[in-house]
Amino acid sequence: MSAETPTLIEITHAPIDLNALQRAITTPRDGAVVLFTGTVRGQTGELETVQLEYEAYTEMALAKLRQVAEEMRARFPLIHGIALVQRIGTMDVGEPTVAVAVSAGHRGDGAFEAARYGIDRLKQIVPIWKKEVRPDGSAWVEGDYMPTARD
Amino acid sequence: MRVKLFATLKEKAGAPEIVLQGAVSTVAEVRQRIAEQYPHLAALAARSIVAVNHQFAFDADPVRPEDEVALFPPVSGGAA
Repeated sequence: MSAETPTLIEITHAPIDLNALQRAITTPRDGAVVLFTGTVRGQTGELETVQLEYEAYTEMALAKLRQVAEEMRARFPLIHGIALVQRIGTMDVGEPTVAVAVSAGHRGDGAFEAARYGIDRLKQIVPIWKKEVRPDGSAWVEGDYMPTARD
Repeated sequence: MRVKLFATLKEKAGAPEIVLQGAVSTVAEVRQRIAEQYPHLAALAARSIVAVNHQFAFDADPVRPEDEVALFPPVSGGAA
């Protein structure tokens, strides 16, 4: 992990410590950090979710997270630090399940755009699946992105 | 050849991996062998993704005996 452009990639069972994440990717050159988290949504219209269970193909997920970070750097060359962290296991409503953080010298250096790209890309190519636990049973959530040879 | 399974496929198979009998040299053959040898997985497997050595793989791609092969549904991680 370069000190100037730190990259933190993690698949973890532990709760995501957002402050630690921010510290890990903030360098002395940074004046802006954008942090996105995805959380367990309890209500989707009329549907109630009690918990989400996340499963990963960990070795491949780590490789694909590294690829997402490389793509972020290629597209947004002014950003400095990147964190891509996915929590797996069972999580309750309101818990962060995934975090994407990007640091940069200034907020206009592409930090927002890079974080958005990172989470969108993660949802396409990182092999992680979630199962919704509802009051009346549970079901895997089906993704719809079919990768191509460029992914 | 062993094939790792995830999510719905793992649940349907009742195991985290299956073993394919006979030689397999392409991704298309992996899919074909699964359909033949694990017919209860065939419908799911047809709309699943194959990865070889942690990269997405497609029908014409080669598979060697030492490769790590996995089969899984389209991903659904990320933001809830």
